[in-house]
Amino acid sequence: MDEDLPVRLSGLRKRFGTSVALEGVSLTIEPGEVFGYLGPNGAGKTTTIRILLGMLRPSSGTARVFGLDSWRESVAVHRLVGYVPGESALYRRLTGRQHIDYFAHLRHREDDARGAVLAADLDLDLDRPAGALSRGNRQKLSIVLALMSEPRLLILDEPTSGLDPLVQQAFHAMLRSHTERGGSVLFSSHVLGEVQRVADRIGVIRLGQLIAVERLDELRAKSLHRVRASFVDPVPVDRFSALPGLQGLVVTDRTLQCSAPQWALDGLLKRVAEHSVEDFECAEADLDESFMSYYAREATDAS
Amino acid sequence: MLRSVFAKTLRDQRRSLAWWSVSLVLIVGMYVAIWPSVRDQPSVGDFLDQMPEAIRSLFASSGADMSTPVGYLQVELMSFLGPAVVLLYAIGAAVAAIGGEEEHHTMDLLLANPIRRSRVVLDKFAAMAVGTFLLAAVTGTALVAEGQITGMDLPVGNVAAAMLHLAMLGVVFGSLALALSGWTGWAGLSRGIPAALAVVAYAVNALAPLVDWLEPLQKLSPFYQYIGGDPLREGVDLPSVLVSVTTTAVLVALAVVGFRRRDIAA
Repeated sequence: MDEDLPVRLSGLRKRFGTSVALEGVSLTIEPGEVFGYLGPNGAGKTTTIRILLGMLRPSSGTARVFGLDSWRESVAVHRLVGYVPGESALYRRLTGRQHIDYFAHLRHREDDARGAVLAADLDLDLDRPAGALSRGNRQKLSIVLALMSEPRLLILDEPTSGLDPLVQQAFHAMLRSHTERGGSVLFSSHVLGEVQRVADRIGVIRLGQLIAVERLDELRAKSLHRVRASFVDPVPVDRFSALPGLQGLVVTDRTLQCSAPQWALDGLLKRVAEHSVEDFECAEADLDESFMSYYAREATDAS
Repeated sequence: MLRSVFAKTLRDQRRSLAWWSVSLVLIVGMYVAIWPSVRDQPSVGDFLDQMPEAIRSLFASSGADMSTPVGYLQVELMSFLGPAVVLLYAIGAAVAAIGGEEEHHTMDLLLANPIRRSRVVLDKFAAMAVGTFLLAAVTGTALVAEGQITGMDLPVGNVAAAMLHLAMLGVVFGSLALALSGWTGWAGLSRGIPAALAVVAYAVNALAPLVDWLEPLQKLSPFYQYIGGDPLREGVDLPSVLVSVTTTAVLVALAVVGFRRRDIAA
């Protein structure tokens, strides 16, 4: 059954000398799924990715890609995977076209035409040497090289941090057509904003441990809204503190302030409307912010 | 030119190989041009004869005789400058092959292709060996061609033999650099240790006839395999070539084993 599973990590641990980079990470990525892998720099995202690609040998646990062991069967894994490395390191003297040519030969595939089409979609000039390209253009070339072999799994290590919004849109369209064909994506980033438009699920890694895995639509539902209201007349506190789901509620004389998840808004609004309102404000908090505060709390509760 | 790791590696070196070749042709030309004046000055030979033996053997491997073209080349080109140039190239190429590619962060990109790590090492080795043989061939061709202009009349077969030994010397130390690079990925160490060992090996071979305790070590020195059989006068010394080939094979196998089992530097 594992042959159909793009990624399965089981108790993955990695030590570098005395420091522990990963402490038992387990997760799976389903076919057709975009998995956003989030965490601050140094949390273990790149280590996980480089184990999946067979660059690093796990200290214990296993990493499987379509049922293949990422260390012992790395050549077979590489046939199924497209990879955008975090550094977007390229051969300085080779042009984009030469990169495409070289990797197509190493893969024994005729990918030159596909590579050229992808480059055109991203508005990338293939005739300049990589050393002369801007950071954004180097990332575009890395993306072209990863996608041109029509991989079943894309592994992207912070692929869009240097891309402008228009190019990001083109890139997201590429990811969608990739998943529509049944392809999967592991997309790492240190900000939720970078992956929230494309990811189906996200996992958060901190200090080498996966602290949360969440469906993005469920997370959205949990995301907090900041509500402020001021009233013509003083309002009683207990009318509001009885409402479920409100956080950080402050009622002083004629004003109200709180944070509320989506599902609690209806009840709150109805209660507010029972009084004469002078002003009302409701803004969705940054998903990033509510997400991090949510899991910061989880982590504190757990300890 | 980008059909394989081997072709790509050689392609990367084409500029550096071209410059090394031009330099070698010029260096050989200089020695050949000086030859008539050296020949007509017998005192140069006397000067060599009067040198303390230890110093003479450091400069002139065997048969320091400056009165014949072969003796002259032995002293001037083959004992020191030729090996130095070939070693510089071979060690540099081997270090760039693995450690260099890791330090430039391109190894991840290369190895993310469906290609075995052993294939990468073997292709990189082959590119280094071909480059080394190419430089030796350029040196030999320049010697014979330019030598004719000043009437040096060098025996073509023996020059070819000497160049074979020269190339093998480079390949042995290049393979050592490759093995170190394969195990550690550290470019500095992979360059420094072979360079230092080359100096030691050179001194061991040169001083062994004079220093008792060095004598048993002499045959271990790749420099002994290089010039101990005096290929410029005697032709190919097959046992020495076999020793070099075996050494190379062992070192390349070590490079493959080391590179297959370790983490790639990010």
